[in-house]
Amino acid sequence: MPRRISNSQKTMTTVAAWTIGVLIFFPILWIFILSFKAEGDAIGTPLHVISSAWTFDAYGEVQGRSDYFKHFWNSVVLSLGSTLIGLAIAIPAAWSMAFVPGKRTKDLLMWMLSTKMMPAAGVLVPIYLIFRDLGLLDTRIGLVAILTLVNLPIIVWMLYTYFKEIPGEILEAARMDGASLRSEILYVLTPMAIPGIASTMLLNIILAWNEAFWTLRLTAASAAPLTAFIASYSSPEGLFYAKLSAASVMAIAPILIMGWFSQKQLVRGLTFGAVK
Amino acid sequence: MADTGISSSSGARGAPGSVATQATLPIARKPSRLFRNLASKIALVPMILTVLVIFVGCTIWTVVHSFTSSKLLPKLDFVGLAQYERLWGNDRWMVSIKNLAVYGTCSMIFSLVIGFTLAALLDRKIRFENTFRTIILYPFALSFIVTGLVWQWILNPDFGIEKVVRDLGFESFVFDPLHSDQFVIYGILIAGLWQGTGLVMCLMLAGIRGIDEDIWKASRIEGIPVWKTYVQIIIPMIRPVIVTSVVLIASGIVKVYDLVVAQTSGGPGTSSQMPALYVMDRMFKDQNLAQGFAASTMMLVAVAIILIPWAYLEFGGKKSRG
Repeated sequence: MPRRISNSQKTMTTVAAWTIGVLIFFPILWIFILSFKAEGDAIGTPLHVISSAWTFDAYGEVQGRSDYFKHFWNSVVLSLGSTLIGLAIAIPAAWSMAFVPGKRTKDLLMWMLSTKMMPAAGVLVPIYLIFRDLGLLDTRIGLVAILTLVNLPIIVWMLYTYFKEIPGEILEAARMDGASLRSEILYVLTPMAIPGIASTMLLNIILAWNEAFWTLRLTAASAAPLTAFIASYSSPEGLFYAKLSAASVMAIAPILIMGWFSQKQLVRGLTFGAVK
Repeated sequence: MADTGISSSSGARGAPGSVATQATLPIARKPSRLFRNLASKIALVPMILTVLVIFVGCTIWTVVHSFTSSKLLPKLDFVGLAQYERLWGNDRWMVSIKNLAVYGTCSMIFSLVIGFTLAALLDRKIRFENTFRTIILYPFALSFIVTGLVWQWILNPDFGIEKVVRDLGFESFVFDPLHSDQFVIYGILIAGLWQGTGLVMCLMLAGIRGIDEDIWKASRIEGIPVWKTYVQIIIPMIRPVIVTSVVLIASGIVKVYDLVVAQTSGGPGTSSQMPALYVMDRMFKDQNLAQGFAASTMMLVAVAIILIPWAYLEFGGKKSRG
């Protein structure tokens, strides 16, 4: 009987759940452990890996080989820039679709979302040519633009689902009380919309941070973000697991740390608003 | 009721007291609503414009150029369907299609089944639930590049699962999917499932939690077995959550390119080729742009064939808000 919950049952579920949780988390934990090991110890048996000496060498070597902070800064600029521009375009659009829906609103939304399903390889060459002609290859501005476009459908869709939950009657009531359009937006709409916007923002930062297809194709050196940094370690350094792990940890740590401190928004955002 | 009807016509003359506010309201609102409708249409313009120019424009450009013989640079010398004939005569392309079909089907089915089963098993209050959810969702917050590298290592026979099991005493244990022509696609599938299943589970869990307690009571009184309640009552009730999951899994399948590049680069040989990889190799390794365009056009057609009927069935009927 799933609904009569005794204390022992609760403990059992908790244990089962956390077993699954640890299993899922284990690979992340393992690269974290490996990144603090010497190269020779990292390829030993798991027991040997745990018991061997801890060291920061791998991090030092990775930083020495490629400038981590430059890539980190690129990632920050790209993900924040594309998110803010995306929000600036998407908020009015989602607001209008949610509060003044027309006959075609649903179609428009579906159409927007379907572009997300398009294989990116299909539009790569024309965009590459446009970028080449405009001199945008390997620039941050160009990448911010393309990441904004790629993630715009998701932003609009998410904001739309959040805005739709705001009851229209409240706006009606505010108008009855003589609120101007400006104060309606500023004092009624904004406070109610902020949680949704925050989750959308976090999701979009993560998506932009992880975007690999475009960032690998349209950058060379100067605008390359962390995905390019980690990809550069994949083939030539295939057998240097400590260094590879250190590079991976450096690439994912910012997202994991940010996610840890905003768990509520993270869960809401990553589940696209389905988990409140 | 009749009062408002009269006073709205005489509102301009200035009726006294409360009647005035009722009366002037529609008049005061009219320009505002007009403005709102106009503003709302204008608000959509940047969004529609970007989608139109980039996605539609660039897609048409690609489709047009797929009928040419462009090599290193795109040019407009049409050769009809020659590129498509060559494409469908190419073994690597056929392998790619088969791989994508296997990966797509398996990842859709397994994600949904595993996600739902775990969610049903965990459908009780768990201690430290927020932290648990965050950890379950972490893999989804990783780049496919990182996931590919991590699983390349875990599935490597010299360090990963095979080595660990052998050290436990099972000397003849073999688990090396990434170096086997036949099983490499399942090695990629494992990594893909690891990344996505936690997310599906969280979605399903949220859906199941939202179900009214009375449903459970009723089914218990009727004597319906628990599994049957899940399959026949709960699943139809959490349909919106399942639709969201399907959309997210599908967009993950489209992005499998990143994973393959990081995990196997299409190898061993050509056995883990994917359509997107085929497109990229033709365009950038072989300098055969038109062949790549033809392949990506076929991908677009395939997406359209799957997407349009589904979208029509799923969203076609309901035009209204909500």
